Amino acid sequence: MIIRVKVNDQIFDVEIGDLSARPVVAKVGSETFEVTPEEAAGAAQVLTNPAVAPEPLAAAPVAVPVSSGAISTDTSRTVVAPIPGTIIAITARPGDSVTHGQELCVLEAMKMKNSIRATRPGKVEKIHVEVGAQVRQGQPLVSFTD
Amino acid sequence: MDFTEVFQQLTQGFQAFTWGNALMLAVGLVLVTLAVVKEYEPVLLLPIGFGCIIANLGMSYEGGMMKVIYDAGISTELFPLLIFIGVGAMIDFRPLLAMPQMVILGAAGQFGIYGTLLLAVLLGFNLPQAASIGVIGAIDGPTAIFVASKLAPDMLGPIAVAAYSYMSLIPIIQPPIMRLMTTRKERLVRMEYAARPVSKKLVVAFPIIVTIVVSLVAPSAAPLIATLMLGNLLRESGVVDRLSKAAQNEIINIATLFLGLAIGSTMTAQNFLSLSTLAVLALGLLAFVLDTVAGLLFGKLMYVVTGGKINPLIGACGISAFPMAGRLSAKMAQEEDFSNFILMHAMGANTAGQLGSVVAGGLLLALVASFGGM
Repeated sequence: MIIRVKVNDQIFDVEIGDLSARPVVAKVGSETFEVTPEEAAGAAQVLTNPAVAPEPLAAAPVAVPVSSGAISTDTSRTVVAPIPGTIIAITARPGDSVTHGQELCVLEAMKMKNSIRATRPGKVEKIHVEVGAQVRQGQPLVSFTD
Repeated sequence: MDFTEVFQQLTQGFQAFTWGNALMLAVGLVLVTLAVVKEYEPVLLLPIGFGCIIANLGMSYEGGMMKVIYDAGISTELFPLLIFIGVGAMIDFRPLLAMPQMVILGAAGQFGIYGTLLLAVLLGFNLPQAASIGVIGAIDGPTAIFVASKLAPDMLGPIAVAAYSYMSLIPIIQPPIMRLMTTRKERLVRMEYAARPVSKKLVVAFPIIVTIVVSLVAPSAAPLIATLMLGNLLRESGVVDRLSKAAQNEIINIATLFLGLAIGSTMTAQNFLSLSTLAVLALGLLAFVLDTVAGLLFGKLMYVVTGGKINPLIGACGISAFPMAGRLSAKMAQEEDFSNFILMHAMGANTAGQLGSVVAGGLLLALVASFGGM
């Protein structure tokens, strides 16, 4: 389907592929963007909110305008440990601007390395853990500024 | 001195060498290559491959050093049990203790064993042989070797090769089945890790209780479960760190080396080169696939019953093969959604599968004994 999107008085024709596929492939002119909505609600939001432009995954890690928040409905400020384990590497640093899907740290659990990734774009405010730390499930790992 | 006698002495090695032996050298080399180049279970396939090579150069389990090793550890079933002490010391049962309902998945995953057993009987194998083939489905090397050395020692080579090579092929065999059997929606299911605290008392008592209960319920599996749980008790008691480390390293490594060599030494041309070997390899693969399918179907059933709270992917790790199967399920879920961590649930199901395959092995032994197959 093709949707006409208006951003800052500029009009884009966005061609969107299969909505149930992940990532959703969106074409603007000759450029192709991959969009990963958080849940089904996220996909609906992309359609109903005309102010939203898809955020290219490969975009430079600059601070992202608030309007693009809809690519991920996740607005929580903190990333918590999904399972208990040991932090064996920290890839993000305070002040870093990260994109959706970027690795923040590596959590080892049951001898398996689990990459903890950002579920939203944002600027890293603080890292709450250090390498070697044992973390409980639900313990805060990284928080964002906004 | 008679020159022809000297010639005979010098060419002795060649005279006994047959085309079959040459073919088995190639089989041994393939196993060694898989170990060295592909790193498929190298710790086992390398000694098995080398044992296979020397078995066809006159050093089989029928005499000499290899006979000593075979008699010491395979016919007495000692090596698989020593390996289980090490495996037990490496297993963390906490995810299972925190989510005891995972036990059901460990039981469901054993279905393939019985399905394949029936098929093998239909294909003309006798009951002890069919049971030994079926047990490959649990992808539990030591249990498969334990059962086969009791029921069908003549098929030990192919059964061990099948069990260990399929174990290393888990990441190749399982994902297509998992994708085929589950929908994307099911694979996306998130499971909150309900961190029910597991007390130290429970963790220490668990191996002792399991040993007592399983030994009473399935006495044929008693040696397997007892050694597995002994290893786990060494680990969890926290007071015998040296023994726990020895079990996880020296004991399991030495036992693995000699187990592999001894299994390889049974792979002589006359033993291995037969249609039944091909049948064992094919049926073993089928048993593994059926186990995976059964586990996934049960996972889907739990998905429906719980109203979509259980990710069916964890059904696939209700086999043994700890921890590879559990990791694979967790990885498959992350492929769909990188922020979905079902690792703890998968490990719970996987440790349940480890217990389930041992019990299933014991039940098979009891079944065969009661049908007078032995």
